[in-house]
Amino acid sequence: MNSLKQEVGEKLAEILTSYLKNNWADSPSSNKIITPATNMVTELQLDSFQVMEFMLEVEDHYNIAIDLDSLSNIHTISDLAGVVIAHQD
Amino acid sequence: MSLLEKFSIARDLRSGLENAGKDPTTVVFERLNSATEGVVEGRTTILAGTNNYLGLTFDPACIAAGVEAMQTQGTGTTGSRMANGSYAAHRALEAELADFFGCPNAMVFSTGYAANLGVLSALLGKDDAVLLDSDAHASLYDGCRMSGADIYRFKHNDVQSLERRIARLGDRAQRCLIVVEGMYSVLGDCAPLKEIIDIKERYGAFLLVDEAHSLGVFGERGCGVAEAQGVLDKVDFIVGTFSKSLGAMGGFCASKHDVLDLFRYVSRPFMFTASPSPAVMATTREALKQLRMRPALKESLWSNARRLYSGLQDLGFELGPEVSPVIAVRCQDRQSALAQWNQLLKAGVYVNMMLPPATPGGASFLRCSVSAAHTPEQIGTIISKFAELKRA
Repeated sequence: MNSLKQEVGEKLAEILTSYLKNNWADSPSSNKIITPATNMVTELQLDSFQVMEFMLEVEDHYNIAIDLDSLSNIHTISDLAGVVIAHQD
Repeated sequence: MSLLEKFSIARDLRSGLENAGKDPTTVVFERLNSATEGVVEGRTTILAGTNNYLGLTFDPACIAAGVEAMQTQGTGTTGSRMANGSYAAHRALEAELADFFGCPNAMVFSTGYAANLGVLSALLGKDDAVLLDSDAHASLYDGCRMSGADIYRFKHNDVQSLERRIARLGDRAQRCLIVVEGMYSVLGDCAPLKEIIDIKERYGAFLLVDEAHSLGVFGERGCGVAEAQGVLDKVDFIVGTFSKSLGAMGGFCASKHDVLDLFRYVSRPFMFTASPSPAVMATTREALKQLRMRPALKESLWSNARRLYSGLQDLGFELGPEVSPVIAVRCQDRQSALAQWNQLLKAGVYVNMMLPPATPGGASFLRCSVSAAHTPEQIGTIISKFAELKRA
């Protein structure tokens, strides 16, 4: 993993940790340690709605627009980092 | 994984619903006594979850119009309008809808779902963009997906979130359609259309408003939330359904843009579906007439909505943000929602069960929909049965 992807991945993990604590405090996932390698669906058990809501936070943080189709291939935080970097370009 | 293994998820979902009591998706109305009363498992049950806002499903004039149409035009059209021709009633209803909304063009679809698929897939294409409210109905998502356009969500009813996203589109904003609902079907809250139209005009975008739940409910003429907020003439495309306030089945689009008429040649959900039956067209036309002639229906609806909302609020339930004919009662969690839904059904009150992920914020709700046809006694009974939930 290149350093930019690692850096973005760590930031996204931080945003997701905070997002889950603020919005899904009752969810068991809200206390899990999230890293760039974390799988949002299998490990955090986020449903499609939660992933889409998290994406709104990511878009605003990076001032980018991610279309819904881009989400279909995102499984890990690192996958998402790749999409964020591509959209920044 | 084999072809059929993926259904294990649906099987688990069904088991979860069954384990909590009755599966809400399997309710059968054995008999309908009126627009607001049926029989479920042998029990007389108040219907408070049918979106029958004006209570017209048992209106004698609507029934008579449907019976006459069936006797004179038959049971079905047996084909699509493009391949097999239109009936005069299809054209007549389109003209009446255009007149109702005060715009030159209207088009009828076979269902509300088909209207959203048909309009969005015709209007949008590759390289276009759509900005969709995050709480929009599944049919709007599906129509956008079918179109091939790039789909961007914005936070529900958040005009800043919308503007940030449309600004990011740059020049593509002019190829962008904003998609919202008039009144949202889960919480009964309304879109801030004036602010949304201000954004659309500043960026040169277009706006589609789905008035499925607001037709006949909002606005002096009953056109919906856009009329109520004084911006009906600024909306580019209005879509809606005949299956709620008009008590029938089908959908429509009305527009000030003449291009709507060309959708007939490119909209696959219009072209490749059988057209609405004569009885459906006749009851819809009569219901639209009733809606226009009887403002008292809307007054009764709102009177009932206010009474139920305040009754449930007084009991301490957490409700949607606005008084409306859709009243969502927030439950503590999925299991308590299922238990309370079952308790209400056994007590003779049918409401809707709304579970995540199809709900805002991933919450679980019991959704009531109020009707103009509910009697004061029925509203009182609904409130008293909810009060029993608090005591359980």
